[in-house]
Amino acid sequence: MMSRRRFLGASLGGAGAGLLTLSGCGTAEGSASAGSGHLSLWYWKGSLSDRLLATAARGVPGVPGLKVKGSQVPDGDIDSKVRTSLAARAYVPDLTVVNNDNLATFFPDEDEFLDLRTLGAQSVRDQYLDWKWKACFTPTGRMIGFPLDAGPTALYYRRDLFDQAGLPHEPVDVAEELSSWEDFIAAGRTLRRKVPGTPYLVSNIGNVFQQVLLQSPKQFVDADNRFIGDQEHIRRAWDLSVDILRQGLSARITDGTPDFNAAMSGGRVATMTTAVWAINSLKDTAPKTSGSWRLTTLPDGPCNYGGSYVTLTRYCREPEAAFAFLKWLLSPANQLESYQEMALFPTTPASYADPAMHKPDPFFGGQQPIDVFGPAARKAPVVYFSPYEETANTPFFQELTNVETLGKNPERAWRDAVNTAGTALTRLGVS
Amino acid sequence: MATVLDPAGASAADERRPVRRSESAPPGGRRRFLPPLLAISPFYVLFAVFGAFPVVFSMYLSFQDWDGIGDMRFVGLKQYGWLLQDTVFWHAVLNTFEIWFLSTVPMLFLALVLAFLLHSQVRFAGAYRVAYFIPNVTSMVAMTIVFGSVFAQAGLANALLRAVGLDGIGWLSSEWGIKSSVSVMIIWRWVGYNALIFLAGIQAIPTEHFEAARVDGANSRQTLFRVVVPQLRPVVLFAAVTSTINGLQIFTESQVLFQSTDVGTTGGPGQEGMTIVLYLWQKAFKEHQFGYGAAMGWLLFAIIAVFTIINWRLVSGSDRDDRRPGIAGLLRRKGARDGR
Repeated sequence: MMSRRRFLGASLGGAGAGLLTLSGCGTAEGSASAGSGHLSLWYWKGSLSDRLLATAARGVPGVPGLKVKGSQVPDGDIDSKVRTSLAARAYVPDLTVVNNDNLATFFPDEDEFLDLRTLGAQSVRDQYLDWKWKACFTPTGRMIGFPLDAGPTALYYRRDLFDQAGLPHEPVDVAEELSSWEDFIAAGRTLRRKVPGTPYLVSNIGNVFQQVLLQSPKQFVDADNRFIGDQEHIRRAWDLSVDILRQGLSARITDGTPDFNAAMSGGRVATMTTAVWAINSLKDTAPKTSGSWRLTTLPDGPCNYGGSYVTLTRYCREPEAAFAFLKWLLSPANQLESYQEMALFPTTPASYADPAMHKPDPFFGGQQPIDVFGPAARKAPVVYFSPYEETANTPFFQELTNVETLGKNPERAWRDAVNTAGTALTRLGVS
Repeated sequence: MATVLDPAGASAADERRPVRRSESAPPGGRRRFLPPLLAISPFYVLFAVFGAFPVVFSMYLSFQDWDGIGDMRFVGLKQYGWLLQDTVFWHAVLNTFEIWFLSTVPMLFLALVLAFLLHSQVRFAGAYRVAYFIPNVTSMVAMTIVFGSVFAQAGLANALLRAVGLDGIGWLSSEWGIKSSVSVMIIWRWVGYNALIFLAGIQAIPTEHFEAARVDGANSRQTLFRVVVPQLRPVVLFAAVTSTINGLQIFTESQVLFQSTDVGTTGGPGQEGMTIVLYLWQKAFKEHQFGYGAAMGWLLFAIIAVFTIINWRLVSGSDRDDRRPGIAGLLRRKGARDGR
């Protein structure tokens, strides 16, 4: 009779052999499509034009013999999936799309991505927005991303409600009269006092906090890896948001919830401070309010909220060809196509002048959204994101929610946010 | 059998020989274990790759600082040290237990009553069983979205409250509102599953016991608590232990319910919906602190182990007369009962 120990030993031995066999399956080059005739590209639904990808799958125009095959990965999973495959050095895609907020999380591992400068990226630099281009670089000066789309912001407002309140209501006038966040709050008070149905100024204060942050070139951690979240630029965003709440101008509802949808269609909220990509969801959420909305410059000036990049991984088998594909896919002409097909806002200013972008939008009473978003995209500030933004800013958003929903004392909430963020960052080596 | 092992053996007289040989176990005789071992090896191979290796690796990982791609940095027990000082983590632990208690106690009770009712003479019992099981196989994300609108400020739950003249409750915006909402979702999902487990247990109780109870004039309530519950103890133990393990791993409900673009997934206002697994996921997969996440996973394992033992002793040690300390006592008692 075989002893139990020997039995375990035998089966573990078998398992070990199995492991070896499995690891032997990994391709020598580590690429997701090694041995096949195409380059692989990971993206999430809606981040790239389906039509252009279909073309590239048959053959990239202008690059003989090159085929690129896109694979859809759910947008919440793509980062983890890229990380896992890079860690395992197997089945890594040749190219992958990275979200605006997440490009910086790859900075500590910049060597995993190809430096696009070595592929001649500089030759197309003047086609792209300056701040977007600069955001593609790591602190050591490696260019690991290529500009995909941008997320210029605007003040979305209800013209009819502004009119009823006796406030300026044409986009040009609103931009002029509501040029600062303080003016914006004052307008909110008037709205609430004068309009029957007392609409709120904003759905929640988190959005304002977010935009004021993005208007600042500094975020929570600076390029020297120091926590600066307790400083004036964050405190200002915090105080403005708390002020909106104190004056009773926030509806205190989370965006995207059924309550939010009801408030938007019922005209309970008069403005939105968000990016260009919110247009479609607003149209879906509140179709009945069509014609009442207008767009204008955000108080204190525009900023960028969202957008993405394409990166080439270190396992990319044909860097030259992959870069040629990027140049084709993200050329001004094709960004224009992507905008028309998928509402991806171009990072190539040359596209903005095209008549195709100047279609009047009935939802905004015939206004041309590009008139607001075009200049906003050009004027967005250059912002430094550290790899640790999420760890740093989560406590602040969290505490702001506590102030808004649970009535927590704002001073205590601020101290708690600073402490929680500080402690969490210490673990990561941020001083 | 013997002819298979000895292909050369032909005559009936030789047939006993190979058997005798294997009893004396000469070298090489072990080879006959090879085919069955090979036959069962796929499980062990798969288990080693997808079960044992990740477990061992996560233990290793909990002593490292790692963002998922670059080099690992050995930090020893630091992750555990940080974790013990992390107020958010302890808040998540407390939340998890509160939600677990709020959901498991009513759920097991409801399941028991349901199972008892199903066991009594009802029409369409099969249809009920299917109906009770459906919540368990429904997509959790889909159901969370539905519950999200039920518990919205202007949702169904508040509409019902207002219809009977009560004030609406901030289901998703107050401490106990959040915990109750999550608990209701867990109850909804697991009550039918546990009812079916209990039903199987009840059906294993000899019918004479029910008949004897009826002859003695017991009503349904007495039958349930005096006949069914005492005999159902091993099944209740199973249900309590699995519910504890599931309950301490609550994740999807909170994650989907409180997801928003700006705040991320931090468990809603006051982080009252932040559970241990949600925090683990947030740290490991959103903030790429895999070592920290791994340490949290092991602490969760320890917590679950402790509570499973407590659970076991509470549920199975309720009659005092044959109480023995420890698992050995439990096993002894179980043996005695089986021997009766």
